[in-house]
Amino acid sequence: MPQDKVDLFLSVGMPLIVTVGPLLFSWIFGNIYQKKKQEELEARIQAFGTDNLTTLKTPPAQVSASELLTASIIMSVSWWQKLLGGLKTIFGGQIQTWDEVLTWARKEAMQRLRELARTKGFDNVINVRLETSEIQSSKGRNTAIEILAYGTGIKT
Amino acid sequence: MPPAKGQPVQTIEMLMSNIETIPGQSIVQMLGVVTGSTVRAKHIGKDILAGFKNIVGGELKGYTELLQEARTQALQRLVMEAHSRGANAIVNIRFATSAIAGGAAELMAYGTAVVVG
Repeated sequence: MPQDKVDLFLSVGMPLIVTVGPLLFSWIFGNIYQKKKQEELEARIQAFGTDNLTTLKTPPAQVSASELLTASIIMSVSWWQKLLGGLKTIFGGQIQTWDEVLTWARKEAMQRLRELARTKGFDNVINVRLETSEIQSSKGRNTAIEILAYGTGIKT
Repeated sequence: MPPAKGQPVQTIEMLMSNIETIPGQSIVQMLGVVTGSTVRAKHIGKDILAGFKNIVGGELKGYTELLQEARTQALQRLVMEAHSRGANAIVNIRFATSAIAGGAAELMAYGTAVVVG
């Protein structure tokens, strides 16, 4: 290979691969992975059928047993989504990437609570609360969001 | 949920709910607010793994497990405090999580210790 092509590759090609490569990887595989996981969740919700959660405080009928139930999930956005979100904060407005991930995380947390209630033999979960908090990595570079769903499981 | 490694096994019988009463029972005596908290940081290995997982996004399973363990411990401490006050139930339990430093989180559970009968 002639020297000038090697030079061009080293000065333009390499930096391009190093900077854009991971983002491209994140965009393609992040999309595939998240879509797959979201479809799995939808299938689980469909298979589960009924919704046994309620935000009401009073039990619907006479209760024989009750217990505090918690379910949680920690979610993060992909590098690509983080970049898009970061760019969006310049102009303001709805940050769709975070929006999507948070909606998904909340769905997942609630579905886990439903499944936990069913495996423990509870008919309903009353007074369901959702809480969101921010978790950071030690260097503070990566931010993740924790969604906690909790309520009182009751047997009627 | 099994207790985390190196933690005391919860043997105390305690009724817990996040509503104002224990369904089907009535409150005999109120014993005040009890709290249980724990501050946790994660293993550096898990942190690095989570960093890789960040490329595609989605759930960070290592962190989910870690916070569940921590929350179990916070609840155990809550139960211990209520037990030391002579309560047999804790009502209106609330959870709070706050990031106090990079890589560490405080998990707190609080509620009202009561005697039900």
